[in-house]
Amino acid sequence: MFLDTMFLLSALATLGGALMVVMSKNLMHACMYLLLSLFGVAGLYATLGADFLAATQLVVYAGGVVILMLFAIMLTGGVEEFVNKFGINKIPSMGTTKTYTIGAIVSLIFSFVILKTLSPLFKNYSQADLPPMESTVEDIGVLLVTDHALAFEISSVLLLGALIGAAVISRPRKINGGSK
Amino acid sequence: MISLSSYLIVSFALFLCGIVVIIARKNIIAMLLGMELILNAGALNFAAYTRFVNQNLDGHVMSLFIIIIAAAEAAVGLAIVIRFFQIKESIHIDDAVELQS
Repeated sequence: MFLDTMFLLSALATLGGALMVVMSKNLMHACMYLLLSLFGVAGLYATLGADFLAATQLVVYAGGVVILMLFAIMLTGGVEEFVNKFGINKIPSMGTTKTYTIGAIVSLIFSFVILKTLSPLFKNYSQADLPPMESTVEDIGVLLVTDHALAFEISSVLLLGALIGAAVISRPRKINGGSK
Repeated sequence: MISLSSYLIVSFALFLCGIVVIIARKNIIAMLLGMELILNAGALNFAAYTRFVNQNLDGHVMSLFIIIIAAAEAAVGLAIVIRFFQIKESIHIDDAVELQS
């Protein structure tokens, strides 16, 4: 069926992208694989009937966040030093086998705890009585200005604060003789 | 064939990938990439439960707020990273030890 094929393709893109974000040794390549993974998540939203969410995911992530990440990567590139100020060898910034081992152990513990605590809550709901997919944009718009109006306003204030905060934090300052 | 549990398995794997990225990497921007993965896993869970359990659209609104918060977090986090690079000439996480001693 079409929906199953879409789900398989999107899940493959999502998980493959996420695995390549984990494995990749190049930060720029990792960012590109993150973009692939976010496209896969947008496809998963589409198979769930969430058309507005899929469009928002594409616009915000592919158009905003990943471009911002790429700009930050290009602005902060440079020669990596392998010794810190105490003369001790630093861990390489993209990780070693030891850090990956620790990450694998922690993720195993996480998965054990989550499966142990949340699996009693899990019920599998039957597939048969699903309603047909229809456009959700109008309903989401109505919900945003009626039930969730306060959260909507607060998120607008949050975005304004993030804008001003990012501009203030990353503004270059002169140490001596400038307008400090 | 596709059910709620398949979406939950995908979301769980995405979350674990994010955890491994945050722990294994020592680069601040790479850790922010892992955070994006984790936020996406949470938003995917909201959308999946909305589709398969109760068809009211509150879960979609919550996913929307998660996307908004991820965008704001990325903007402020990358501003902090760029400022840190201007001061320290490095984006290694072990160079951020000013508050430790």
